Amino acid sequence: MQEPLIRFKHASLGYGRAPILTGVEFDIPPQSFVGILGHNGSGKTTLLKTILGLIPCLKGQFICPGKPRYGYVPQKERLDLIYPLSAYDVAAMGTYRRLKLFAKWRGLDDHQLVHRCLADCGALQLSGKAYRDLSGGQKQRVLIARALAAQPEILALDEPLAGIDITTQKALLKLLRDLKEKRGLTILMVSHRIQAEKGLFTHIIWCDEGQAVIGPADAMLSGGRLSEMFKAEL
Amino acid sequence: MTQLIAMLKPDFLLHHALYGSVVMGFVCPLVGVYFLLRRLVFWGVALPQVSAAGIAFAFMLQGLGWNILAGAESQEKHLAIIGSLIFTGLSIIFLAVLERRGKGVSEGRIGSLYALAWAASILFVAWNAAGETEMLGLLKGEIVAISESDFHSMLHIFAVIAVCMFLFQREFLLVSYDRDMAVILGRRVLAWDVLLYLIVGLTISLGVMTVGPLVIFGFLVIPSMTALPWARGMTSFSVLSSLCGGASALLGFYVSYTHDLPLGPVIVSVACGLLVLSWLAQAAAGAGGRRFRLGRPATSA
Repeated sequence: MQEPLIRFKHASLGYGRAPILTGVEFDIPPQSFVGILGHNGSGKTTLLKTILGLIPCLKGQFICPGKPRYGYVPQKERLDLIYPLSAYDVAAMGTYRRLKLFAKWRGLDDHQLVHRCLADCGALQLSGKAYRDLSGGQKQRVLIARALAAQPEILALDEPLAGIDITTQKALLKLLRDLKEKRGLTILMVSHRIQAEKGLFTHIIWCDEGQAVIGPADAMLSGGRLSEMFKAEL
Repeated sequence: MTQLIAMLKPDFLLHHALYGSVVMGFVCPLVGVYFLLRRLVFWGVALPQVSAAGIAFAFMLQGLGWNILAGAESQEKHLAIIGSLIFTGLSIIFLAVLERRGKGVSEGRIGSLYALAWAASILFVAWNAAGETEMLGLLKGEIVAISESDFHSMLHIFAVIAVCMFLFQREFLLVSYDRDMAVILGRRVLAWDVLLYLIVGLTISLGVMTVGPLVIFGFLVIPSMTALPWARGMTSFSVLSSLCGGASALLGFYVSYTHDLPLGPVIVSVACGLLVLSWLAQAAAGAGGRRFRLGRPATSA
């Protein structure tokens, strides 16, 4: 049996002393495409932030045996548009893992890596443009390129399709599927809907009423509360 | 023009004051860009006033007979710097901790701190009639009276600040722009924040001692606002802001010297003049109110 990439054991997750999810116990297999679904406020983002190490586990254990590298795509609205950054500047941030003094002058600024990531995301032609002037879909492509520039094993996306038209959603999902296949990534994607992405997920984590359960996508979507919940979309 | 050229010569009587103003004009905006980007502009108003209160407090203690640095007259300034640094440092810690917790109204806290600092400055002055004149001079920022040794000390410290701002630009940008990403990349966000705040505290404390709270606020905020619409990335933003600050100081000094006007308000007025010119140029260039643009706005993915 394949060793899990991420494992929760009797974990309680939340902020401060207030748990939002309790009794969390599941494994995430490598190279899976996991949809983290649930209502607003059900703990989807809390779960993702715990996996990313942004908030600690309140109780129980969160085990990540191989200490994988993460690439993170936040909700695009979280990034302040006052910054005078080009799409290239934003994507290059993914390479800021280590302090590299005088990187530009010493030729250590990972120029080629950033360009390759932008190209893989179909965003190379945007590199000189102001990030703030890009459309929602273009911003997501640049943010995915930024996550890839971190050379991750796990790509974590928080509501990447929110506020984006259906055509662009489909293009982004195709991009994610291609990246998964090409780079062998494990993808964790938070979403509060399932219309466009239902065929992509290999597993679904369902967050509801303080609990989080995981299962193969087909089984999770074929019956029970989840199918009731999304019957309009399915 | 002849006068301007004469001013720039080393034998100009007030050359230390001129160079000092220009150096501050160049360096303060390098720190100020982060006030604007982190949306902490009100910190730029409150902290110089807090720094001034620290100076007033130090002088009050001395006036009351607490001679911490007993004796030498030249140590008055050191005492003032210590007071300024302590007050500014504590205020930054207070504001930063509450900002991180994200509770309460940020503007309300900063406004209250500003009002308190202003009131405290006046009260500390009132309790120290003996040193009132000297302290008011310091609070106004009498850069024209700057000594050679003070000028050299200031030059060295501001050179270090400028180097740090360029050397650690990527780190300061990352922790300011996307804190979560910085954590995920394994960067020590708290350490970089502390370094940035230390630099902010040092800049403000020394700046208030040298040119007064008004000019420091002007240097921290106005050049960055002037430069932002024209910036093409962080380096160009920093460099443009710095040039605007340096130009404001040089032109301000020239106008002040030739028209016998108080230096600080003239420098701030010149900086505001450049800001208005920037807005007009933007309008003329057809920017139509967009804050900045690197390429044509996109319409689709």
